[in-house]
Amino acid sequence: MKRDRAWLLLYLATVIAATLIHDPRWLAVGLALVVLLAGREAGVLLRRAVLSVLAFNTLISLSYLGMAWWRDFSPWQTLLLLNLRVLLLTCLTFLFITRVNLFQALDFSRSLTYVLGLAYSQALTFSRAHDDFRYALASRSLQRPGLLDRYRASAAAVSWFIEKSLHAATQSSQALRSRGFFHD
Amino acid sequence: MTELRYRVVKPAPAGAQDADPVLAMVGVEHRYGAAEVLCGIDFVVHPAEKVVLLGCNGSGKSTLLKILNGLIAPTSGRFLYQGEEITPARLKIPALHRRFRSEVALLFQNPDAMLFNPTVFDEIAFGPRQTGLADVAERVRHWADQVGVSQHLKRPPFTLSGGEKQKVCLAALLALEPKVLLLDEPTAALDPRSTGWLVDFLSGLPITTLTTTHNLSLAPELGSRALVLGEDHRLIHDGSLHALLTDMERLAAANLVHTHRHRHGDIEHRHTHVHDWQ
Amino acid sequence: MHIPDGFISPQTYLPAYALAAGLWAFAARRVKRDLDAETLPFLAAYTALSFVLMMVALPLPGGTTAHAAGIGLLAVGFGGWMSFLAISLVLAMQALLFGDGGITALPINAVAMGFVGSFSALAAWKLFGRFNESIALFLAGWFSIALPALLVALILGVQPLLAHDAQGAPLFFPFGLAVTLPAVLLPHVLIGLAEGVLTMLGYRYLTRLRARILQ
Repeated sequence: MKRDRAWLLLYLATVIAATLIHDPRWLAVGLALVVLLAGREAGVLLRRAVLSVLAFNTLISLSYLGMAWWRDFSPWQTLLLLNLRVLLLTCLTFLFITRVNLFQALDFSRSLTYVLGLAYSQALTFSRAHDDFRYALASRSLQRPGLLDRYRASAAAVSWFIEKSLHAATQSSQALRSRGFFHD
Repeated sequence: MTELRYRVVKPAPAGAQDADPVLAMVGVEHRYGAAEVLCGIDFVVHPAEKVVLLGCNGSGKSTLLKILNGLIAPTSGRFLYQGEEITPARLKIPALHRRFRSEVALLFQNPDAMLFNPTVFDEIAFGPRQTGLADVAERVRHWADQVGVSQHLKRPPFTLSGGEKQKVCLAALLALEPKVLLLDEPTAALDPRSTGWLVDFLSGLPITTLTTTHNLSLAPELGSRALVLGEDHRLIHDGSLHALLTDMERLAAANLVHTHRHRHGDIEHRHTHVHDWQ
Repeated sequence: MHIPDGFISPQTYLPAYALAAGLWAFAARRVKRDLDAETLPFLAAYTALSFVLMMVALPLPGGTTAHAAGIGLLAVGFGGWMSFLAISLVLAMQALLFGDGGITALPINAVAMGFVGSFSALAAWKLFGRFNESIALFLAGWFSIALPALLVALILGVQPLLAHDAQGAPLFFPFGLAVTLPAVLLPHVLIGLAEGVLTMLGYRYLTRLRARILQ
């Protein structure tokens, strides 16, 4: 079996395992292993993972603390378990993303890798264009733009993206045709 | 009518070099994540200067323009407009925001990014309406006339051709009569006739312009001073455009020209070429 | 509605994956039948479109913004199955390429936003389209946000019942329905209004564009 596909399966198995284990000690061991596997990038990985779950987990943890104080029970075991698990799974996913080429891992289906590859590259182009739409409105506004102007700007962006994606679809189906993708 | 309206003059005013700089980059660096986009950028631009920013694709030109327009903050270093530091955070100050946004305008490479109003008239009026000036309609007509889109005032901007869209964008920016105009690859989507028109139009504007391009043969038409961003994202030239154009080694280093083999009869040799792939 | 990994119990996400997989297989067949050979490029393009629609600012009064979802627009414009597949692919891309939103939350979001969202939008569009197109589009946008939010609130809210330890302490998402229903549903009922407006404006443009292409 190919390396990337093996990693994908291992990743999925680890995710399921991490949701079946409810002992914080084992989850902590798992987190330590993932960090160890990350090697020199461990610091960056941990930082990225913490930042990405910070808002949601802080909200949940603080609310749970409040509820525990109100109903008078000890929240610490649950909070430790929850946050450890979330951090472990997030680190695991980020490690997977940096180490594994998803397109290679999915190459058992030519259609799936084709769609994903095309969608991914187009999505990156679109997201850069989206930044430009946002910057352009900011650049032209001497004061905070009103609700109507903001709707018009969003609708103009939406229409531009619709037009570009229809255009791209037509072009890539022509490209596929000329490469004989449909005939074998 | 306001007295602000530009009168078209040909040469840049004499003695402009002695005036205080209008734009200043001080040790500017920028990175996206781990990727370095700009490194050790230092330069100043004086009022009414016409500067051309040259660099190959991916050299950081667009990022530099976004810093100069206060849309993003450099990772380190400072950008000063008329001696005042500009970052998105500092632009939260309403008075500074208002002054900077009305005096420094950016023409985006993709004109579609700028167009969202229901008609060309509204598009050009978008800026002036925010200033509370009384003569908005007259300004709109003046600038529509200047760029040659008067016949389209009632049409939705997205129905126009690429070149016309760019003219509408230009009119929309100029309707505020900015002191500095930043242009990101303004000729990239234009046919030769429109390019000729734009070059003439820009040279007649009595304001500071900074234009990016990777088209070397067009550069002398857009300004007399060149800034060159190398592939290492550093400024590798700041000075006369004329001197630059004779320095083939430096141009090759910036990936603005390339070397390839040539055959003349039986003789094969290599030399450096300017190629303007548009 | 992005739920990080670690809040959904395997008792929930494993059956959700089974359900989603069945729907994906069926949707793929339907889309292929309708579009013939051109399925793949169009699916890719609508996936990219869906991706960027989720970034577009949804202006709310008072200068704040939410993110649009574009589900109503995709469903009404390109069909429910296509929209469901495109949204599922976006969620997969976000989870496995950008690390945004979890892999265990994926089937729930795919079924909630992709399936329920798309088909509730289509139902609203078909049901009210007879009376007034603008209102029907607005409602399509609103339902495509509100119903998925209801489903996500229900799924989150039953986690403490489905997965708890011997003492009754929650193992995954710790709040019950009394918290999740108001906390998730109320803001989305409001965001749905803005999404409704954007669906209306976006669809109007799409029909104009199609007319121009046909000319």
